[in-house]
Amino acid sequence: MATTVITGRDLTLTIATTAYDAQTTSVTLVNSPTIDVYQTLDGKAYKHTDDQWTLNVELLADWGAASSLFEAMWTAADTNPNTTLAVSLTAVTGAVFACNVLPVFPAIGGAAPGAQTDSWTLTVVGTPADTFS
Amino acid sequence: MPSTILSAVRTPLATALSGVTANIFSYVPEQVPVPAVVLVPDSPYMEFETIGKGTFRCKLNYTITCCVAYNSNPASLDNIEQLITSVVAVIPTGYDVQVVDRPTVTQVGASNLLVADIRVSTWYTQTA
Repeated sequence: MATTVITGRDLTLTIATTAYDAQTTSVTLVNSPTIDVYQTLDGKAYKHTDDQWTLNVELLADWGAASSLFEAMWTAADTNPNTTLAVSLTAVTGAVFACNVLPVFPAIGGAAPGAQTDSWTLTVVGTPADTFS
Repeated sequence: MPSTILSAVRTPLATALSGVTANIFSYVPEQVPVPAVVLVPDSPYMEFETIGKGTFRCKLNYTITCCVAYNSNPASLDNIEQLITSVVAVIPTGYDVQVVDRPTVTQVGASNLLVADIRVSTWYTQTA
């Protein structure tokens, strides 16, 4: 099978129907499983008991811009902190992952020189749904 | 017609720099009438930092070259420091001002110039 490489430029990210591609420099959807380990008389036994998914997003800040993504996230975290936002993350054409995340307050500020950036760690509610085609 | 880097990035920067007491060039001129400020691409010129490829987006790096006459070293250094200060002050929002390289003496034609580069970056998104 020929080597297939997909890159960050193949990714697209939508949160609450708004595309975040323009500001996003990195995005990962990762799972942190809970696996209990038991020491038995026959050796170790494993039990996968839980999963907690997290959406990690690194962005360029866009405070003050028209249709600011940072301001939208701030508003969501301020007014509806317990209401999930629908996320669609396309790894590449034909591999789309959908999940729901809780909003977080963006960080404000940055270092000089350099662009103002932020890293969001968004807790995923439930398990992402995959669509492979 | 989509926006261009010329209209969205270089022209706004050149317009902002026009308030400086110097000759402004958005390209490298054949003759450099000092004091002069010349906007040229840096290397790497374009960096692709954001995800997605449906829209052309990149980080653009530029060098703003400040030139003054090199006749007397103390006076020339003072002149280029003042020119750098005035240029940095008018660089508009959205441009990341990084460093100013060490001033060097450069011969252009028959004259010596004291030259220093200001490195700036900005982000460009092509819009319809």
